Amino acid sequence: MPPASARSVPLTSDGHAPLLQVRDVDVRYAGAVRALHGVSLAVPDGAVVAVLGSNGAGKSTLLRAISGTLPFVGGSITSGSVELDGRRLDRLDPATIARAGVVQVPEGRQVFDELTVEENLRAGALATPRRSRGRARDRVYDLFPVLRERSGQRAGLMSGGEQQMLAMGRALMAEPRVLLLDEPSLGLAPHMVARIGEVIAEIHRQGTAVVLVEQNAAMALELADLAYVLEVGQVTLHGPAAKLAATDDVRDRYLGISAAPAGPPPTGPPPTRTGPSLAVDGVSVRFGGVTALSEVSFTVEPGEVHALIGPNGAGKSTSLNVLTGVYRVASGSVRYGDTELTKLRPHRIARLGVGRTFQNLALSPSATVADNLLLGRHRLTRAGFVTAGLRTPGARREQAEQRRRVREIAELLELDGALDRPVAALSYGDRKRVELARALCAEPTLLLLDEPVAGMNAEESARLAAVVARVRSELDISILLVEHDMTFVMGLADRVTVLDFGRRIATGTPAEVQRDPEVIRAYLGTPAQEAAR
Amino acid sequence: MNQFFTLLVNGLSLGCIDALIALGFVIVFKATRVVNFAYGSLLLLGAYVVGSTHESLGFAGAALLGVAVTAVLAVLLGVVLLRRARLADPGTLAILTLGIDILLATELTRRIGTDLLTTGDPWGADVVSLAGIQVPQTRVAAAVVAVVLVTGFLAVVKFTDWGIALRASAEKPATAALMGIRLSRVAASAWALAGALAATAALFFTAFPSPGISGTVGQAALAAAVPAAVLGGLDSTTGALVGGLAVGVTATFAAGYQDQLAFLGRGFGTVAPYVVMLLVLLARPSGLFGSKEIARV
Repeated sequence: MPPASARSVPLTSDGHAPLLQVRDVDVRYAGAVRALHGVSLAVPDGAVVAVLGSNGAGKSTLLRAISGTLPFVGGSITSGSVELDGRRLDRLDPATIARAGVVQVPEGRQVFDELTVEENLRAGALATPRRSRGRARDRVYDLFPVLRERSGQRAGLMSGGEQQMLAMGRALMAEPRVLLLDEPSLGLAPHMVARIGEVIAEIHRQGTAVVLVEQNAAMALELADLAYVLEVGQVTLHGPAAKLAATDDVRDRYLGISAAPAGPPPTGPPPTRTGPSLAVDGVSVRFGGVTALSEVSFTVEPGEVHALIGPNGAGKSTSLNVLTGVYRVASGSVRYGDTELTKLRPHRIARLGVGRTFQNLALSPSATVADNLLLGRHRLTRAGFVTAGLRTPGARREQAEQRRRVREIAELLELDGALDRPVAALSYGDRKRVELARALCAEPTLLLLDEPVAGMNAEESARLAAVVARVRSELDISILLVEHDMTFVMGLADRVTVLDFGRRIATGTPAEVQRDPEVIRAYLGTPAQEAAR
Repeated sequence: MNQFFTLLVNGLSLGCIDALIALGFVIVFKATRVVNFAYGSLLLLGAYVVGSTHESLGFAGAALLGVAVTAVLAVLLGVVLLRRARLADPGTLAILTLGIDILLATELTRRIGTDLLTTGDPWGADVVSLAGIQVPQTRVAAAVVAVVLVTGFLAVVKFTDWGIALRASAEKPATAALMGIRLSRVAASAWALAGALAATAALFFTAFPSPGISGTVGQAALAAAVPAAVLGGLDSTTGALVGGLAVGVTATFAAGYQDQLAFLGRGFGTVAPYVVMLLVLLARPSGLFGSKEIARV
């Protein structure tokens, strides 16, 4: 059976009004950027409801709309309503919403580092009557025995998994009617993800309704009764979790398995080139006691488009930060041509011709596109502020040259019409292309793209795929791509390296990787033979 | 040597007063991220209320009234400011407090005029002599009161629900709100406490050996609170205590050894705490006990 239409207002299967009801909610940031568009969601009493979607789809925004924390990030609900048992929540402040029984475990755990475990739990129970606290604490300690053992320890010193347990325990101290979980598996090791999954199942069994926002679709679909898929701020699919897990649409979205690549046709063999190659060899990165990357190796050949993929917390961004010199490695080497990068400072690496784009755009919003791009050419500009200020002939000639090159790059990226407009006036997809153009303006020989299509819709993402393919062939550069969008990756990359929990689990052509049972397990958690049919 | 110990004891007792002042400054910053430049005027208000009512109410009554009035005004200030505090830029709010400071200080100075009010405290100009070290009685009283208040305050912060709410909302306000902690109430109580501390400190700050209550008391108090709070780390109550003591001792020593430090010019005692503050910040940019800002790439 296909999932129900996204338009109908959802009801529970028996027709009763659900416990938590989100109705046609629109959310805007800074009064302009629309992050949610007519989103409806129903949480029956005691049910686990999963919300899936790629980065930037609006999952966290949806949770913020429910928990009333949008104002903290400059957002607001512009239409629609959120109701708990018929009581409007959408005009209330977060503390009142929490006291009404809807308690959120925020993304990134957000335990109070300076407080002990026990004090964190008390902080969760401040809104509840004293007499019920002992019972709540016993229940939390039973769910998470490790918290009892560590009750006197400062929360900031605990591991990521323990902090996640503490964050969940803290929320449960309030004995919520609806528990909102934002990416609880993010960055955790497999056994810890499994443990968190067990606890969510136990919370469910004890009768608390749960809204579970996850990029780990495998985990979420296994735990949930109902699931919603968000795409660019809209619910595109919803229905019983088991049925969604079996649909081609979901498989396609999270693995790019079922459909043919929707991006541009592969651009043929990469142009042969003799530029430097990037060799990552046995790199490990540790943060405190947590190993973020473990013995990761891969090579980006000259002129190749190489994709680095993996679930959230797999180590993709960490890898990029190692390549650009932001993080130090614990062991291993990164060589670009003959140069060892691991010892260099970020600006030295940039000077070697390694450019990058940022997932969260690093543009100056009030400056024009042209000025942002000129800033990207700073490394190639020789005129100092004295010569530029005096407008010496040399400085003027250079200025004209720089502007000509900026125009060329803008044309290549179909931005030439927007050069004189401020970045803030552009659409999100256009801004993403400006970010790419800014990186290209530094004339890199290797370009690192950090989630270039995150938050884009299918059309924008296909357009960007075409642009990246053209950039690669015309500018003759190598590209390392970190991305969640499988359709985008599979249509564009020559080779793909898959990371999971800081380890490389596969490298190969897109077709090879898609058939790899390890990869399918990491993404969907389904047995290989079933998924690869 | 005797001079050294006399200066040390006097410095520590002055430091107790400075610590009380800095503590109020830090509590507001901790709970609301507002750098409260109106704090000096709040202290002046407390002093003014005590100075103008002690003849009719007696010292104890006037002191209680001063504490109450200052706490109430501080809450009003905080609530009016805080209506937008969570959304506004902290820099804007700091400038707003500067404006309030000027208004309040101008009005109070006008009322005080050329009089020199006193708090009418029972200790007067008496001096205690202990093993050859001379300390004014007001300073002994200040030290006792400061130790009691600070110990009580630290215990409250450590053990009570309110303390946990304060520490939780200081560290991660958005998350604290998600736990049902009402940030506006935590903030209002922090302002009230700050006002009460300011008025209490005013009792001792304007007593002997200080000349009395004049319009400049507020600035002088702020000049002590800022280096104490900043070198302690601005959001740390422990830091405020250590900072306050350090400022008191530094200022007293710089003034006491004025003759030996003559090459630095007159009035070095006023500047010395800032020198110490700069040296501490050079070594530890977040202050002695401050939480570090971590930027994410």
